[in-house]
Amino acid sequence: MLKKSYKKVDRVKDAVSGGTPIDHVPPPDDLGYDMIPKERYTSEEYMQREWTHMWTKVWLLAGLAQDLAEAGDYICTEIGRESVIVVRQKNGGMKAFYNVCMHRGNRLVAEGMDNAETFKCSYHGWEYGRDGRFVNLPNGELFPQGKPCKGLVELPCGEWNSLVFFSLDPDVMSLEEYMAPIAGHLEPYHFERMVVTKDVTIEWSCNWKASVDAFNETYHVAATHPQLLWYLNEMDIQIDCYERHSRYLVPFGMTSPQIKRIPEIPPPLKFMMHEAGLDPASYEGPVDGIRKTVQKHLRETAGEKGFDFSELNDDQLTDDFNYLVFPNLTFNTHADHLMLFRHRPHPSDPNKMFFDTWTIQYIVDDEELPTRRPRHRHVKEGEKSLGMVIDQDGGNLPKVQAGMNSAAYEGLWLGDLEVRIRHFHQTLDSYLED
Amino acid sequence: MDLGLRDKNAIITGATKGIGREILELLIAEGCNVGTCSRSIEDVEATLEKCSTRKAQVYGDVCDIRDKEEYEAWIEKMVETMDGVDIFIPNVSAGGGMDSEKNWWKNFEADVLGTVRGCEAVIPHMKESGGGAITMLGTTASLETFAGPQAYNAMKASLYTYAKQLGQFHGRDEIRVNIVSPGPIEFPGGSWDMIKDTIPKFYEATLRDHPTGRLGKPQEVAKAIVFLSSPAASWCNGSNLVVDGGFTKAVHF
Repeated sequence: MLKKSYKKVDRVKDAVSGGTPIDHVPPPDDLGYDMIPKERYTSEEYMQREWTHMWTKVWLLAGLAQDLAEAGDYICTEIGRESVIVVRQKNGGMKAFYNVCMHRGNRLVAEGMDNAETFKCSYHGWEYGRDGRFVNLPNGELFPQGKPCKGLVELPCGEWNSLVFFSLDPDVMSLEEYMAPIAGHLEPYHFERMVVTKDVTIEWSCNWKASVDAFNETYHVAATHPQLLWYLNEMDIQIDCYERHSRYLVPFGMTSPQIKRIPEIPPPLKFMMHEAGLDPASYEGPVDGIRKTVQKHLRETAGEKGFDFSELNDDQLTDDFNYLVFPNLTFNTHADHLMLFRHRPHPSDPNKMFFDTWTIQYIVDDEELPTRRPRHRHVKEGEKSLGMVIDQDGGNLPKVQAGMNSAAYEGLWLGDLEVRIRHFHQTLDSYLED
Repeated sequence: MDLGLRDKNAIITGATKGIGREILELLIAEGCNVGTCSRSIEDVEATLEKCSTRKAQVYGDVCDIRDKEEYEAWIEKMVETMDGVDIFIPNVSAGGGMDSEKNWWKNFEADVLGTVRGCEAVIPHMKESGGGAITMLGTTASLETFAGPQAYNAMKASLYTYAKQLGQFHGRDEIRVNIVSPGPIEFPGGSWDMIKDTIPKFYEATLRDHPTGRLGKPQEVAKAIVFLSSPAASWCNGSNLVVDGGFTKAVHF
């Protein structure tokens, strides 16, 4: 992959005690080099199998725990054909329910977030408490047969690293067991200290897995994001595969080995230095020394800026620790912010999906705190820029999906930098085979 | 047209890459010896090895032109090695940037003092040998609003005044002083190559401002510099030659 003369990225040698593990966990030996059949991305039959065997068996993200701060705060989220409500209880716990009135099947609330004393159906007024139980059934005497059940149909839910999860499987394994070993990887970032600054959903004309894939390999960086070659090293990454999840660690603050000549400090690296509080004009060292210089400076100044990075190692101060939490969450984890992506399937069309992005930021200066939570925005492809990088990815995806549907195309032919995609499909297989 | 460069001696700072390297290669091809420098010994050695021909020789050494003593010593060494200097082209620049006050110091040191100190070091030798030519490097970013208010644009601007007055002052010594104003120049490994990747909107906007729809090439600037520096331009003194493919829009009366 890299020339012999190439000087490897200088990575931290020791993990911080209690911090994110740094050990390399190579992909399983049996991943092989087989083509991944394209039908997985295009066929309705395969999509249906994903629903019955995978989506209804795994833990799924509902939203951010900070949006369920008070009793009655709820998130209503959709996954495939289902809609789910997760609501904060008076006792501090939370409960999840199918968003379905048990009378005639109406949706109780719209997708989004709000606070509710009760959930009252707009059709005939059947009303349920925050605990899901019936509160009022208008003209109950009209139902001599009694009530159909005790209330809303409950689902497993739980909180993990300040994120709220639910499962459509009443017999799902515990959330802790499902997330192992990633919990300990992300806890040191303390997402509970961060606040949401951006919350956008965009509709993309591609299969949800094409979107997962776009953030699961760095091979596309050179052709799709040429600007990033002047900012990060997409070739010398550490890829680690766990039971169902995976990660790669991408060094930021340096240039790609594919950049042979560097006329001056590239603009994105200058930006990084400015953000860290360093003056690029005063920097006389080599461009590839910027990463370590920024790390050192952030470490030295964290205290005075009010940041607590004590549980993070130096590489975490610059690099992207990118996690895939199976099946559909991408974490771009940084010391002072998290870019969280959720890739949701369309209810019926394998050629469409919803791409949810949240940015949450570690803000210590009260002055810089947003005055109110940014409104969730739902936009169509091309309606709103999500920033240069995601726009570039989003620009590829409809074309990729269209090409996958061509008679000429048989499947994904993956290289070594795309090994996480193989691992992802192996995990998906383990569900679909059951 | 014979440029009259055969067996002349030129000193160019930082001619291992980019426009400087093109100037060096053109001069060598015309039979003019060249002395140059770089902060990197590898770059100097590679240039010496690659560019010398039977017609003309390249000499060079490591030198940080921001260090006054080191710079002056290097010029003396080049003059001594080539046995004189007929042409001086101060080509090194600290480049653009709007980072801090430090940009002003760096452009002052590299672009302004790098030119002034070099001129003061070569002029006594030129006087002694009966004349010479100095061609300074300006920029269209000094002539018209460009990119943003920054030290590079303003510090380079001071060279126009200096070039004009230096030429007047040394007219009787037969030393001509001119300045060239290149527009944006693109080449592999150059700044605009990087801007194309990293700030594509700015790159594309700059491209659209060019009547030809492209940026300049180093050879296109180098040829103008070589001409002004050659005896063929004997009646050019104190001129500013804009070499930008029509990028700047002001009319130069």
